Amino acid sequence: MLNYNTSIKEDKSYSDLDMKEIKPIMKLIIRGKTKDFITAIEKKLNIILPTIANTSTSGEALTALWLSPDEWMLVSNNTLSNDTNTYEVEDNLIKNISKVNLGAITNVSDQFVMINIKGNKVFDLFATGSPFNFNEFKNKKGSVVQTILSHIDVIIHLTGINEVNLLVRRSFSEHLYSWLNDSASRL
Amino acid sequence: MLKNLRVKTSKFIDETINVSFKFNGKTYYGFKGDTLASALLSNDIHLVGRSFKYHRPRGIMTAGSEEPNAIVQTNKNTAFTEPNVRATEIEIYEGLEASSQNCWPSVSFDIGGINNFLSPLLPAGFYYKTFMWPASFWEKYEYVIRHSAGLGKSPTEPDPDIYDHRYIHCDVLVIGAGITGIMAAKTAAKNNLKTLLLDEKTELGGSTIFQDSDHVKINDQSSSTWLENEITELEKLDNLEIKTRTSVAAYHGYNYLLARENLTDHLPKSEKQNKIRQRLLKIRAKKVIVATGSLERPLVFNNNDRPGIMLSSAIKRYADYYGVATGQKNIFFTNNDTAYENVIALNKKGINVEAIVDIRENSNSEFTKTVESLGIKIYKNHTVVDTHGYKKLNKISIMELSKDGQSFASLNKITLDCDCLGMAGGWTPAVHLFTQSGGKLKFRDKDQVFIPNNYPSEQISIGSCNGDFELDEIINNTSKSLKEFLSVNKTDYDNLDIKCPKDKAIRNIWLLPSDKVLGKTKPFVDYQNDATANDIKLALREGFRSIEHVKRYTTTGMGTDQGKLGNMHALGIIADTAGVKVGELGTTTFRPPYTPLTFGTMVGRNVGEYFDAFRRTPMNDWHNENKAEFENVGQWKRAWYYPKNKETMHEAVQRESKAARDSAGILDASTLGKIDIQGTDASEFLNRVYTNAWSKLAIGKCRYGLMLNEDGMVYDDGVTTRLDENHYIMTTTTGGAANVLGKLEDYLQTEWSELDVYLSSVTDHYATASVCGPNSKKILNKIIPDLDLSDENFPHMSFKNAKIGNIKCRVMRISFTGEHSYEINVQANFGKTLWEKCMEAGQEFKITPYGTETMHLLRAEKGFIIVGQDTDGTMTPIDLQMDWIVSKKKYDFIGKRSLYRSDTMKEDRKQLVGLVTDNPSEVLEEGAQIVANTSTTPVEMLGHVTSSYYSPNLNKSIALAVVRGGKNMMGQKLFIPMENKNINVTIVDPVFFDKENVRLNA
Repeated sequence: MLNYNTSIKEDKSYSDLDMKEIKPIMKLIIRGKTKDFITAIEKKLNIILPTIANTSTSGEALTALWLSPDEWMLVSNNTLSNDTNTYEVEDNLIKNISKVNLGAITNVSDQFVMINIKGNKVFDLFATGSPFNFNEFKNKKGSVVQTILSHIDVIIHLTGINEVNLLVRRSFSEHLYSWLNDSASRL
Repeated sequence: MLKNLRVKTSKFIDETINVSFKFNGKTYYGFKGDTLASALLSNDIHLVGRSFKYHRPRGIMTAGSEEPNAIVQTNKNTAFTEPNVRATEIEIYEGLEASSQNCWPSVSFDIGGINNFLSPLLPAGFYYKTFMWPASFWEKYEYVIRHSAGLGKSPTEPDPDIYDHRYIHCDVLVIGAGITGIMAAKTAAKNNLKTLLLDEKTELGGSTIFQDSDHVKINDQSSSTWLENEITELEKLDNLEIKTRTSVAAYHGYNYLLARENLTDHLPKSEKQNKIRQRLLKIRAKKVIVATGSLERPLVFNNNDRPGIMLSSAIKRYADYYGVATGQKNIFFTNNDTAYENVIALNKKGINVEAIVDIRENSNSEFTKTVESLGIKIYKNHTVVDTHGYKKLNKISIMELSKDGQSFASLNKITLDCDCLGMAGGWTPAVHLFTQSGGKLKFRDKDQVFIPNNYPSEQISIGSCNGDFELDEIINNTSKSLKEFLSVNKTDYDNLDIKCPKDKAIRNIWLLPSDKVLGKTKPFVDYQNDATANDIKLALREGFRSIEHVKRYTTTGMGTDQGKLGNMHALGIIADTAGVKVGELGTTTFRPPYTPLTFGTMVGRNVGEYFDAFRRTPMNDWHNENKAEFENVGQWKRAWYYPKNKETMHEAVQRESKAARDSAGILDASTLGKIDIQGTDASEFLNRVYTNAWSKLAIGKCRYGLMLNEDGMVYDDGVTTRLDENHYIMTTTTGGAANVLGKLEDYLQTEWSELDVYLSSVTDHYATASVCGPNSKKILNKIIPDLDLSDENFPHMSFKNAKIGNIKCRVMRISFTGEHSYEINVQANFGKTLWEKCMEAGQEFKITPYGTETMHLLRAEKGFIIVGQDTDGTMTPIDLQMDWIVSKKKYDFIGKRSLYRSDTMKEDRKQLVGLVTDNPSEVLEEGAQIVANTSTTPVEMLGHVTSSYYSPNLNKSIALAVVRGGKNMMGQKLFIPMENKNINVTIVDPVFFDKENVRLNA
C-alpha cells in the first residue's frame, strides 16, 4: 500500500485569516477547441463550461475554471478518498473525449495543491505579493484569475465572500505556504 | 548661557513629552514631534557637517526633504546605521544617536578643512587634470581618494529590519497633502472614487496649515483654520486612504508609481521591534493628481553657505510649526515678497528681525507696507556681497546695486550684525515626478519657472507645482482643473471668498555681483557637491555647452539632494554666460527616486529564504531525514549526495557510484520536466520538434529525442514515451522544462495552429523514483510482483502501466546510467512512500540512494551528454557525435536548415570527445583549456573540459571535452596547462564503460 503525503503540514490561523490545504481533490485539465468538444463535456458531466474569461461554473460534483480559450480545469467540489487514484469522471472523459479525438484530458490532481484561504484580510494578504487588481474580483463570486504571488504562478478562485481556493504547483507549495504565513503574521 | 530659543509651538509638537537624543556623542533634549534639525536648532546648534570637497562648515538650510547640508549618520557602528539621513526629516525618538559626516576628528575641528585653503587647486573637473603624474603613484593617490570620497559610511552588518511591499490599485492617487492636495482628495472621495492621498510629511496641510497670516483669509477665516476644518471633514470620508510619512519615489509609465512608506523610524527603539520598518507601495492609479508644491530657491552670492544661512520659508516653518527661533538677529535677503510674509510671522511670535535686504528697487505690496509699519528696516535695491563667521554666521556685508543689477551704485559697504540669514530667491515648482512620467515642461519668463506643458498620461498638476502661487489663483484654478479631470459638475470650492495680497514681480539675478573678483569669491550653486558659480563658468570656458555635460563636469545636481535647490541657478548662470535663454536650455533629466530609498525598501521581503522560490520534490522530507546535501538546479533543491559517517563529497560519490553498478542505486528523478501531449497530430508534432523520427514509434515504447533551436544548436533532450495512439508523455531536462513548454506552446499557437495537439505540464503531478543496477529487476519484482519483468515482455525503452496496491503508476525501462534500470512514476502525493517501499525492498541488495553528483558521474562513464553541461548553445548534434539521431529522411524539423550552413558544416568545429589523463589519479578541472603546444603566442586554445570525474568503476579519471576537429584525433596526445603544471591527456572515445550496452539487459 502506498500512503498519501501532501506538502502542506498544518492548518494555520491568524486574526481575520485562516488557511488550510483541501485534499484529496481531483483536478483535471481539459482542452478542446470545437463545439463538439464543449457539447460532449457538458452532456457527460452535466455542467456548463464557462466561456467568459476568468470565470467559473459549478455543477453538483464539479466546478469548471476557465484558464484559456481552449483550456479549463475541472475540480471536484468535495474531497475524495486518498487510497485510490482511479476516478470515474476521468475514465469517463477519457473514453468519451480523448479516445474519440475531441480534445485532451489530463489528470493534474497532484500537479496542484489547493489551499483554502478565508477571512477579512484575504485580499490584504494578496496585496503584499500579487500585482493583480482584486478590487472587482472580490465582489464577484466564481471569479478566477491566473496571476503571480511572490513570484510564483497561482490560480485563485473566489468561492465566497472573502474566501478563495488558491492552486499552486506542488513543488512551489511549501515555499508559498511559508511566504503566506510570514506575510499573514504581520497583517 | 543656554539661549531659550523656544517660542510658542503649534499643536503638532507635544511639549509635554521630552525626548533625549545624542548628537556627536553629546546628549540633548527636544519634544515629541521635533525633527533632529528642529531639536538641534532649539539647542542653538547650527553647525552639523562639513561640505563634500572643501570641508567647509555647514548648517541646516531647509526644513524638508530638499536639505543639502544637514545630512547625518544615524546609529553609527550598529547594524541599524544609515548614512546621509536628512536631519530635517528624521523625527527624534528616545535613543536616537546621530553624528556629523565627512569630518575628522570632529565637526568643529576637521583636518579636512585644509581643503578649503587648497580650493584653487580643486575646481570642478580637477580629477581629470590631477593625480596623473607620476603614473607609479596612482595607487597611493587612489588610497587617499578612496578614503576621502563619499559622505556617510555604509553599514558593515546585515540589515536586521523587516521591509515589505504592497500593491495598491486606486481610481485616484493624490500626491501631496497641501491645500490643493486636500481639495483634490476630498473632491475625488466625495464623488465615490477610490482615492489614495500621500504626503511625505508627518501631518497633512503642507505649509498652509501653519500659515496663520492676517493677510490671507478664506471665507473670513485664516487660511490655516479653514484648511484644518477641511482636513477634519476629509478624515471622515469613505473611499479614502491617507498615508503620511510616505514619499513618492518614482512615476513610471501608465500611471504606475512607487512610494516609500516610513512606518517605524520615528518610534522609540523599544517600539520598533518586529515591525515593518518601511514599505514600498506599488501603485497603479487610473488618474493621478500631482500636488507636490514648490521648493524655495536660495540666492547665489559670495559665501552663501555658512551655518546660519537658511531658506526664509524654513525659518518660518521652524518658528510656526516647531516653535523654534533659528536666530536672535535675523535678517532676510530676498528678491520677492515671500520674505516679507515670513518676517511678519516671526514678528508675531516675538522673534527679532533686524532688517530685510531686497534686491528690488520697489516693492509696494500689502506685505511690504505691514513690515514697514513694524519698524523693520528695509534695504531696497541692495545685495549681500559677503558673509562672515567661519563656524557660525555673525555678520553680513551689503551694497547698493547698479541699475542693471550687475554691479554697484556706489562702493559704500554696510556691515550688519546677523546670526541667521533667510534667503528668499523665488520658488521652483516641484515638477520632478511629472517629468519622470514623460511630461514635457514649458518656461515662464515672468517668474523664471518651468511648469508642466503636456500631460503624457491620465494626470494633472495643481497648485504651485503647476505655477499657481497666489491663493486665489491656487484655489480657483484647482477647482476648475478638478471638475474637468474628474468629470464632476461642482466642487466645494467654487464660491469661496478669498483674500490674499497680490505679489509684486520678482527681480531675478541668478548670480549676484560681488565687489571682489569672481575668482576670489565662493558663490555656491550646489551646496552638497560644493559646486560654485565659478565652476559652472569654468566648464563653459572649457567648451562644455550641453547642460547634461556641465552637470556632470561640475557635479552640480548630482548629490543626494539631486540639485533641488541649485539646478535652476546653474541653468540661469549657464544661460547668462552663454547668452541663451533659460527656456531654450531645458532641464537635465529627472530620475527616480525623488529622495534616496534604502535597499531594504526596494528588496522588501525578498531576502534569505524568500530571495527566490525553492521547489521541492515529493521525497524531499526523506532526503532531509537522511542527511542529504542539496544542490540548486534552477529553483529546485535536488539531493546532491548522501554522506555517511562524515564522508567528504568525493568519498560519498565514489561509494554511491560503485554501489549503483555493483548492486543497486536509487535516484529521485522527479524534477525532470514532464509534458503530456495529446491529439491526432501528436506524432507529426514530435517529428517537427525533435531531430529524429517519431511516426513509427509503437504504443508502449520509449525513445530518446534531441531538440534543437532554429539555429541548429542543441537546446534540450529527453525520453518521450508513446502511451497510446494519440497520447505521449515527453520528458525534458530539469532546468529547461518551463522554457521548453513555453516554446512548444508558442509554436502551436503561432506557427502550427492547424495541428490538433494539446500540451499540459505534469512535472509536479508525478514523483519519479529511478532504480538501477544489476539487482534492480529483483527489487522491482518485490514492489510490483504482478508485473512480468522479462525482457520479452518488458524490453529496454518501453513502459508498462501497473498498480501498487490500489494506486496506478507507470514504469518506464529507461536508463541514464547504462545499468538495467526502471523509472517508477506515481502521483506525487504517493511519492514519498513509493521511495520508502523501494528502500525497503532493496535493503537486502544494499540499495544505495544517490544524488545528482553520482548521476553525473555514471552517465559520463557512458558518454551521455547533459544539455547545459557539455553543451552551451553552440553545439550541433554533429558536434556531439550524435549524427545517428539526426533524421536524413524527415522533410523538416526545427533547426534542420541551420545544420547546412557553411559554418555548421565546418570540419574543425569543437567536437565531443573523451579524455584520459596520463596519471590516472589526476582529475581535470571542468572548464580547463586544452592545447597542443605553447611555443607560439597567442597560444591556440583547441577546446575545453566540459565534465570531469574520478571513476570508481574504471579506477581512473575520465573527462568529456570539446576539441576542434576532435572526432579525427583519437589517440592524439594534448595537454592542459594549469597554473603550476601541465597535465598530459589523450583523446579517446567518449564512451568509457560497457560500450556494447551489455549491462542494460543484465
